[in-house]
Amino acid sequence: MKLIRVLRAILSEIFEESAYERFCAREGVARGRESYAAFVRGRRVQAKCC
Amino acid sequence: MRGLRTLLWVGIAALGALAFAAVALHRGEQINALWLVTAAFCTYAVGYRFYSKFIASKVLALDPQRATPAERLEDGRDYVPTNKWVVFGHHFAAIAGPGPLVGPVLAAQFGYLPGTLWILVGALFGGCVQDFVILLFSVRRDGKSLTQMAREEVGPIGGVVAYAAVLSILVILLGVIALVVVNALKQSPWGTFTIGMIMPVAMLMGIYLRRLRPGRVLETSALGFVLVMTAVVAGKWAAVSQVTVPSIRWFIDGRALPHFVLEPLSSALTLSAPGLAFLLILYGFAAAIIPVWLLLAPRDYLATFVKLGTIALLALGIVVMHPTLQMPALTKFVDGTGPVFAGKVFPFAFITIACGAVSGFHSLISSGTTPKLMRRETEARMVGYGAMMCESMVAIMATVAACVMEPGTYFAINSPAGVAGGLPEKAAATISGWGFPVTADAMHRLAQNVGEVTLFNRTGGAPAFAVGMAHIFSNSLGGQAVMAVWYHFALMFEALFILTVLDAGTRVGRFMLQDALGHVWKPLARTSWYPSIVATSALMVAAWGYFLWQGVRDPLGGINSLWPLFGIANQLLATAALCIATTIILKTRRATYLAVTLVPLTFLVIVTFTASWHKIFDPDPRIGFLAQARQLAAAGGNARLIFNNRLDAVVTGLLILMVALLLIESVRQWIGALSGRRASATTETPFVMTRLAEERG
Repeated sequence: MKLIRVLRAILSEIFEESAYERFCAREGVARGRESYAAFVRGRRVQAKCC
Repeated sequence: MRGLRTLLWVGIAALGALAFAAVALHRGEQINALWLVTAAFCTYAVGYRFYSKFIASKVLALDPQRATPAERLEDGRDYVPTNKWVVFGHHFAAIAGPGPLVGPVLAAQFGYLPGTLWILVGALFGGCVQDFVILLFSVRRDGKSLTQMAREEVGPIGGVVAYAAVLSILVILLGVIALVVVNALKQSPWGTFTIGMIMPVAMLMGIYLRRLRPGRVLETSALGFVLVMTAVVAGKWAAVSQVTVPSIRWFIDGRALPHFVLEPLSSALTLSAPGLAFLLILYGFAAAIIPVWLLLAPRDYLATFVKLGTIALLALGIVVMHPTLQMPALTKFVDGTGPVFAGKVFPFAFITIACGAVSGFHSLISSGTTPKLMRRETEARMVGYGAMMCESMVAIMATVAACVMEPGTYFAINSPAGVAGGLPEKAAATISGWGFPVTADAMHRLAQNVGEVTLFNRTGGAPAFAVGMAHIFSNSLGGQAVMAVWYHFALMFEALFILTVLDAGTRVGRFMLQDALGHVWKPLARTSWYPSIVATSALMVAAWGYFLWQGVRDPLGGINSLWPLFGIANQLLATAALCIATTIILKTRRATYLAVTLVPLTFLVIVTFTASWHKIFDPDPRIGFLAQARQLAAAGGNARLIFNNRLDAVVTGLLILMVALLLIESVRQWIGALSGRRASATTETPFVMTRLAEERG
């Protein structure tokens, strides 16, 4: 079970679902179109390695 | 218990030694790929258990009591204390790209041995060390970037050189990997359809995420994956479809003149290299200026989804199939006469394989978002050293994929027409003459099996990797009947990797340009000002587009000139990173352990400077840029090709000059620190006791 929880957490972090949840908690907003749009606006692009 | 553990490690080391002996000493007989995998696994296990522990405790003195920037500066956005496995996955997803797949495939022209040894030894003592120390040094400096650390630890010249090196490597890298995609898709309607469909699928995902299911990225990525897989299968139909569609033809009689035509879908998808280059340049520009949420972000999610699944699948396929390596340990091309790229095994094997062994680019990731997520210093070992070991394993898998096919097939795919010959019979005869039998008929059958018109002269590494991967997959899942689907899946997988690097790299390059040009005229630094966005994006795309165009027009296939140039640039960035790391180690009074970074640094300096010297001055026109320019000039060749060769020589020279400057600055710092004449203060943030440790204790 712990393995599944960790795997789920890894995937959530990689796919930025956790980042979005943190954003909602920090800004005190509910999940939805507006909050997601605001979250994506602040998203930084990181260089990907070759 | 302790005795048992010792016995276990002795056993692993002995098994590793046995596997190395099998890999290195077999001559004239084929070996099983599992020997390579076993040697790799044991090397990584021993390296991680002992060498990384030594670095962690003695060289870096990791301190579990010390608060990380993620804890001290936690803001829920950039600085977030995160579980170590999550940081590991995040870091690995950012460092693993197309490099460890393409480089080892190209280097397989020397045989499987040189590449394998370099991947294992280079990763253990170079790449993993670089990623680990840069990550830790960034953690101890509030997550500062490599260029910031260069400026603060080495001096202003160090900062400028690091900045210029990063920008140069971005430009060259993007040009080269775009060329890999062009070479993989030219005259390949099925592949072109599949890759082309990635854009609308990504945009659909973007709209779905934004409008229908905000924030449900994993679910959206899974849906995107289903759509892309549908495109992979539907490509077979598209490749022969006679449905009339409007399309753009880019050239008339060799002159660039885009015009609309009505033609069958199969013809519209059968594109020449210049046409594909145009499309990729347009894609890069579009991805850099349109909103992130619409194309770049969903395509990035899709790439990560496919990446993680496919790497695991490939590893499983190799273990289940345990294929036999057809390529010999060493080929005669170690003497520098190789058709894939010219140059002797030393130094060219060491710059051809960068990602997978040592990649300077990783130092940007290690000093990017990762250090801002670390919950404890001690976890830097697993994330920095461990993730690079995993990437190195991906490179070993790529070596296996390249070496499981018959060598004649490998060389037929990877040899440019200018070397092997343009016609199938001629190319087959030339390659057979090298001692690697292949027939035009056999290649034709293979091309039919994978759904291509031809597999001759498909340089760049991607098609060869796709054939190898399809070979492994089809033997374990689905048989020959689905080989074409696996081949196009592998092509899609690589292209997806490359597009990720291409669009993210273009955007990052744009930010860097805006940052620099802002010093000249302030409004240019505003990242929300559209004229600046368009101008700097165009500049960035024009820069890498020029290299791409140069590769497309190169009679030797482009890879011969450009991949070594990229390898040199990437390894020079690693040189810069190790220079900075060595300077910091000296300043923190740990000179006893200087060899940990100084040895890989010295090796990389020797490799890159030797390779650069050959690429500029070697009298062989296939190796030296200037010799090729002279040869073309003497034969009354194309003025543009002559200029390109001279330009490549100048670019190589400038890269070397930059790193020489950084080395000189660093050595001045080292002498000053050792003699005590120079103030050797580092910019390390002061110690703060972690609350996490207090809570635990």
